[in-house]
Amino acid sequence: MKFYSVKVEEREELGSYTLLRYRWPQAPVEPGQFVMARAAGYPATLDPFLARPFSFYDYDGEVASLLFEVRGRGTALLDLASTIEVTAPLGKGFRIGSDLGRAALLGGGIGVAPLKILGRYLDALGVHHDVYLGFADAKSAVVAREFPGADVATMNGSAGTHGTVLDATGTLEDYGAIYACGPNPMLAAVKLAVGNESLCQLSVEERMGCGNGSCNGCVVPVRGGGYIRSCIEGPVFPADVLVW
Amino acid sequence: MVVREKHTSVGLAVELCGVPLKTPLIPASGTLSREALGEIEGVYGAMLPKTTTPVARDGNPPPRVAETPAGMVNSIGLQNPGIERFLQGLDEFDLGVPIFISVAGDTVAEFASLCEVLVGDNRVSAVELNLSCPNVECGGLAFCAGPASVEEVVTACRAAVPNKPILAKLTNEGVVENARAAESSGADGLTVMNTIPALTVDARARKVLVRGGLSGPAIKPVALRAVYDVSGVVSVPVVGSGGVVSGTDVAEFMLVGATAVQVGTASFVRDPHEICDEFTSYLKENGLSAAELTGALRSVRPATGDRGQ
Repeated sequence: MKFYSVKVEEREELGSYTLLRYRWPQAPVEPGQFVMARAAGYPATLDPFLARPFSFYDYDGEVASLLFEVRGRGTALLDLASTIEVTAPLGKGFRIGSDLGRAALLGGGIGVAPLKILGRYLDALGVHHDVYLGFADAKSAVVAREFPGADVATMNGSAGTHGTVLDATGTLEDYGAIYACGPNPMLAAVKLAVGNESLCQLSVEERMGCGNGSCNGCVVPVRGGGYIRSCIEGPVFPADVLVW
Repeated sequence: MVVREKHTSVGLAVELCGVPLKTPLIPASGTLSREALGEIEGVYGAMLPKTTTPVARDGNPPPRVAETPAGMVNSIGLQNPGIERFLQGLDEFDLGVPIFISVAGDTVAEFASLCEVLVGDNRVSAVELNLSCPNVECGGLAFCAGPASVEEVVTACRAAVPNKPILAKLTNEGVVENARAAESSGADGLTVMNTIPALTVDARARKVLVRGGLSGPAIKPVALRAVYDVSGVVSVPVVGSGGVVSGTDVAEFMLVGATAVQVGTASFVRDPHEICDEFTSYLKENGLSAAELTGALRSVRPATGDRGQ
C-alpha cells in the first residue's frame, strides 16, 4: 500500500474530536470514501503497526480533512503529528442522485464525519436534506455546530433530545434517500427504522488491516450468505445488501 | 570488471526449485488482492494469490483482525471462492512472472484433489501446500502438526502433481521435524513459516477479540531462527516468511538460508517497491548479488552456538 507524506495544515479541537486538515491535490475525493492514515515516522515506528481508516470529513479540491477521536495509541500519535502519512482515497462512497427527493443524513458519534462532505455534495446538486446527529454526551456533540440546522440527540440527555439519533428523527418514511454512518448497532437500528431499505445507504465502521482489499479483515455479512470487504465493496453499502 | 558489473547491474534474480525469479520477493499467500495488483509491478519474482480450497469458504465472522505490538493477529478463515472459480479469475494475476498457487484442504484427499486440478494448468509454475488447517479428520487436532501427517499430505500431493515444484508451508512448532518429513516425502522446497497461533483480548468488554495467527515484525526473530535451523538440515530450498518489512529483513532471511523471501503483512503498511529498493541498495552497497546471499551465514557457526536458555 502506497502512503504519501503530507503536512498537517491545521488542527482543531471539537469537543471530544479532532479535525485535521492536510493538502491533497492529487486525486478527487468522493463523499463516503476513506483513507488509511498514521503519524509519519515509519519505519522507526513499527508499533503501532497498522494505519487507521478514517472517512473524509470534507474536501474542497485542495484541502482534505479528517475527523477523529483519540481512542488508542494510533490516534493519539495522529493527534500530535505535524506530518502524517495517508493513502489515496479508498473505497466506494455514497451513491448520489439528484432526483431522490428529500434526503435524511444520520450520524452517530464519530460517524458524523462523512456527512459533512456528503451534505456539501447534496447542496451542490440541489438536493434538500435534513441532518440528524446522535452522540454519547454534550462534549462529543460539540461537532454538531459544524452542521447548522442539524437535530441533535445525546444518550445522556446533556444536549438536544435525550436518546439515540433515531429519537431525534421521527419517521423516515417520507425521505427519498437516507444516508447513515455510525457504529454498527446504530446502523442496524436505522436499517430497521427505514420503510424502504433500497433507499437507504449505510457507511459501516469495521476494523481494517490493509484498506486495499488484501487482508479480508474488514468484512461484513451480506444477504445470500458470506462476507464482503468494507474497504473495497464499501464502506458504503445499500442497506438491503447487509445482514444485521 | 566483475566487481564493477555487480555495482552497476544489481543481480536480483534467483532460481527457486528450477523456476527463475526476477527478484527473490514473493507475496505471502492471503496478503495480495487483485485490487492491489496495479501497485506492485516489478517487485515480485512470482505471484502467489490467496490460498484456495476445494469448495468456497465464507471465512470466519468478524472481528477478524486486531493490532498487536509490532504486528497483527488475523483470523480470516481461508475465505475464498473455491478452486474452480479461483482458477477462472487467475489470469488477472498474470503480471509476466511465474504464478504459484497456495492450496489447503481439510484432509489428505482434499489436498491431493487440489493438486490434481492444478497438474494440467500450464499457468501454474508451482504449488504451495498450506499445511496449517484445522483437522476434521482428527477431531480438531491441528492438521499437519506433526511429521506423520506432513508426510502423508506431501506424499499424496507429490503423486498428484509430479510435474510442478511443491513447496510445503510449515508452521513454527516442530518445524525442523516437519521440514525433514516434507523433504523426504518429495517436497521441492519449504516455506518457513506461517503465522504463529495467538490471541487478543478486550479487557474492557471482557471478551476474546481475535483468536488467530500473529504476523508482522513481532515474529521476525522466530521466523529467522526457523529458517536458520531448517536450512541447516534440509537440502531443498527454503522460502523465508515472517515479519519482513524492509530490504534489510530480506537480506537477513537470505543470509540465514532462504532462497526467496515472502512479504506479507508489510504490504499493508508499505509500498512493496520500497522494500525491493532497499534490498537492491543493500546488494549494491555490499557488492553482492541476491543469489550469493543465500546461506552465507549457514557455514559460520555463531560464537554463542545454540546454548540458548
